[in-house]
Amino acid sequence: MDARRFNLRRWFVTGFLLLLVAAAYGIGYRETEINPVKLITSLGKSQAILNDLLHPDLFTHQTHDTTLDIVFPVPCGSAQPTQLPDNQAHIFANVACANPGDTVSVSGTGMQPDTDVKIQWLLPNGNALFSKLARTDAHGNFTAQVQVRPINTTTGGIPSHLQALTAVPFGGLLPSQALKDVINNIIVTVFIALLATTAGTIIAAPISFLAARNIMGHSRLGTSIYVIVRSILNITRSYDSLVLATVFALWVGFGAFAGVLALTVITMASLGKLFSEAVESIDPGPLEAVSATGARPIQVVVFSVVPQIIPDFISYIIYHWDINVRISTILGFVGGGGIGFYLSQRINVLEYQKAGTAIWAIVLVVWAMDFFSAEVRKRYT
Amino acid sequence: MLQIEHLTKVYPNGTVALKDVTFTVQDGEFLVIIGLSGSGKSTLLRCINRLIEPTEGRVLWDGANITRASPAELRQLRRHVGMVFQQFNVVKRSSVMTNVLSGRLGYVNSFSSVLGLWSKSDRERALKALERVGIADKADNRADALSGGQQQRVGIARTLMQEPKLILADEPVASLDPVLSHSILRYLEQLNKEGITVLCSLHFLDLVHRYATRVIALKEGVKVFEGLPKEIDRAKFKEIYGEEAQEVRATTVEEG
Repeated sequence: MDARRFNLRRWFVTGFLLLLVAAAYGIGYRETEINPVKLITSLGKSQAILNDLLHPDLFTHQTHDTTLDIVFPVPCGSAQPTQLPDNQAHIFANVACANPGDTVSVSGTGMQPDTDVKIQWLLPNGNALFSKLARTDAHGNFTAQVQVRPINTTTGGIPSHLQALTAVPFGGLLPSQALKDVINNIIVTVFIALLATTAGTIIAAPISFLAARNIMGHSRLGTSIYVIVRSILNITRSYDSLVLATVFALWVGFGAFAGVLALTVITMASLGKLFSEAVESIDPGPLEAVSATGARPIQVVVFSVVPQIIPDFISYIIYHWDINVRISTILGFVGGGGIGFYLSQRINVLEYQKAGTAIWAIVLVVWAMDFFSAEVRKRYT
Repeated sequence: MLQIEHLTKVYPNGTVALKDVTFTVQDGEFLVIIGLSGSGKSTLLRCINRLIEPTEGRVLWDGANITRASPAELRQLRRHVGMVFQQFNVVKRSSVMTNVLSGRLGYVNSFSSVLGLWSKSDRERALKALERVGIADKADNRADALSGGQQQRVGIARTLMQEPKLILADEPVASLDPVLSHSILRYLEQLNKEGITVLCSLHFLDLVHRYATRVIALKEGVKVFEGLPKEIDRAKFKEIYGEEAQEVRATTVEEG
């Protein structure tokens, strides 16, 4: 009887706990708005963007730019139409003039075959108004329908012009402006990481000895310093790099410097911990031996501790540089400068191909750093 | 003269490693300390140069109270107390030369030594020390490229740099092939004959008989024997090491 009642109680407790867990996942599912179907249904909408991201803006050609131009009076009689030349490349409309709201047919002849043509209005105020894109056929001719708008009306005696622009590429590939910008920015990012790693190391290396129990734990004063330094490192490490970068960006202004400051603090705290653990894991024998010769504490550290920790230190520094490159690509989003800043701006102005260039560059550099850091660490340890 | 008076060491975890140990070492002795592992031999040797702080009692050396010395005084005293370790305790990633030079640290300016600037005379002294232990040709090798016996000789050369008056040797041959034991102990014997007092802990009874001028035995932190090596017979050995102990010989090869 007793055993059965006990089992019943346990059954209830287990059931209740399971219910709580189920509730937690249920609330979590609702609050995070999980919707796997969206992954498929949204694909169509975002396909263009994804396509842009996958086709980064890398290269351009030098181009021969030509502009063919005719005066097109709107309404009729408001200006003198252009006299059409006979032989050379030119464009013409099926009518010499039109009223707003009319559709006219624009044709070109004698042009470069199989070339994109950009048709635009040159308005009386001097601004260009894009109309549509066309493409010449194998004979260098094209025809396109163009809508006449009220804005094309002759103003102050100045008529609108109809223009056809072609840009024929020639010569070899050239890096596009986006590629150049991305390269500049990724270099900035790598150097943000390099400077932050260096500064962090310079601060962390001496501090790590103060945070190592086997160096400091021999006296009451030493132990107090150990506890204080350890606590400072732990507290500093608990701040996220994005939060720190935001704070520094508000403090010293947006840009690479804010990123360097934030990463330096992160690196200092993280390397300080790793270094101090490396110091704590040394073989205590040589420490004992050098102490026994009557050496001063600083000599003991330099002669018995430093040679033992150098491989670990080098490995940690390279590893952290690698980590810092990753972090600093993201820091740009909150004002830390470098490639992240460039990427966030391109996304904001919907230039997804340029964003794609930045993303591919980040992937490439992170991969390269990962490889480089692994190789160096393999050599040194 | 080294006087150990009522030395007691209780570790923070409550282990009593030494209990009221008293003895005197005259200058020029080769005193061997025997006892089982954990009997307090290492603790005793380390309490003498205060690598371990004794809980009670005192150590007097030529009248100076080592246990009461300030950090600066202790460094002055340590300069003349060499130490040889079971695990050699050389810095493996440093060169043999640097390891030997580190024995000189108590004598040199800390700034220049930290920068690795050594006087010509110190370098010559280090080479001479390496010559004495027969590995001068290894000076530029990294210490971990050397065999165990060679590393222990680096340890002895490091000790020579201190111009020691006293050498504390903590089981100097316990990590070596038994056949190498004599080669290491003969260096210590030679130094002892030159007037350096040696305190050495050993495991093998035949080595005790061969090298010791006097013997002290520890059992669970208490001194249970003090006398001449020849007084340790089979019965005494059983008393010190326990009934189950079997005597093992370090070497069957007679040294020639």
